[in-house]
Amino acid sequence: MFSRPDIFFRPFRKHGMVPLATYMRIYKKGDIVDIKGMGTVQKGMPHKCSHDKTGRVCNVTQHAVGIMVNKQVKGKILAKRTNVCFEHIKHSKSRDSFLTCVNKNDQKKKEAKEKGTWVQLKRQPAPPREAHFVRTNRKESELLEPIPYEYMA
Amino acid sequence: MGFVKVVKNKAYFKRYQVKFIRQQEGKTDYYARKRLMIQDKNKYNTPKYRMIVLVTNRDVICRIAYVCIEGDVTVCATYTHEPPEHGVKGGLTNDAAVYYTGLLQAHRLPNRFGMDKIYEGQVEVTGDEYNVESIDGQPGAFACYLDAGLARTTSGSKVFGALKGAVDGGLSILHSTIQFPGYDSESKEFNVEVHRKHIMGQNVADYMCYVVEED
Repeated sequence: MFSRPDIFFRPFRKHGMVPLATYMRIYKKGDIVDIKGMGTVQKGMPHKCSHDKTGRVCNVTQHAVGIMVNKQVKGKILAKRTNVCFEHIKHSKSRDSFLTCVNKNDQKKKEAKEKGTWVQLKRQPAPPREAHFVRTNRKESELLEPIPYEYMA
Repeated sequence: MGFVKVVKNKAYFKRYQVKFIRQQEGKTDYYARKRLMIQDKNKYNTPKYRMIVLVTNRDVICRIAYVCIEGDVTVCATYTHEPPEHGVKGGLTNDAAVYYTGLLQAHRLPNRFGMDKIYEGQVEVTGDEYNVESIDGQPGAFACYLDAGLARTTSGSKVFGALKGAVDGGLSILHSTIQFPGYDSESKEFNVEVHRKHIMGQNVADYMCYVVEED
């Protein structure tokens, strides 16, 4: 998995200068970040075992962030600290959906409280499809049913 | 003519990686830009202001901007075609005009931030080296870095004229006198008088006199 020699290669036609937005992003302690090593910048590269992993920022320095990453060592999973320059980092979207959900729920709760109604906040699994009309194009509909079970010796 | 292989064939285009658009257009020097805009991560959102001096054929633009992911934000901009509106007449792209624009920029900017009149800068034009000192207990002097863009930074360049104007007006910009007109690179001495003459437009006036005499 992480012993491929091309793990830090730049994608096709994306070599050379790194787009400057990478340098403008801001990382705070507690942010969740994805680690993705980049061959263009040799300083502060992540170790190959933390490539493609997601961790939490625990320290911010001038050019790098310290990240807590989970590493599986034989039978156990250790939370390890790595220092990685921020060219190899990007904000993880894993937390974003959760946070927007939380905000939305807070909104809904507020509105429901004002109106005095109760809102379903829990996530529901996808329900079966509702009854709906189907176009038949003047054809007779054929009823398909499973054959009732019969034990065949 | 023998058979010449076509360099720009289909394979070439398939593998060709284009440079950034602004680099292709010849408008941005990314090597410099990267170094001008990177802010230490442990300074988080603190903007890094840069003073951009752009010399066009008929105008000189001084802008103070900082970098933003959505696009650079300009805080303040001054043009050399403004002094004539205030009554200062003369050529628009000479050293004196550029110095005046830098000065105007430095006086206009603290207004934006409400730090008017704390830093007056140098009141008399001497052409000498001047660095604003931050006053204790007050907001620090506005610090920015000179962005010469694609201009060649030779000594006596107008970019540094604007820089001198801004510095004399009270902005804190890292610089040295090496590239000001009046610096002798052989003896490593800075001739303040020569610099002052350039700022006051004396060199233009002298040349005019000389030309008038000739005729």
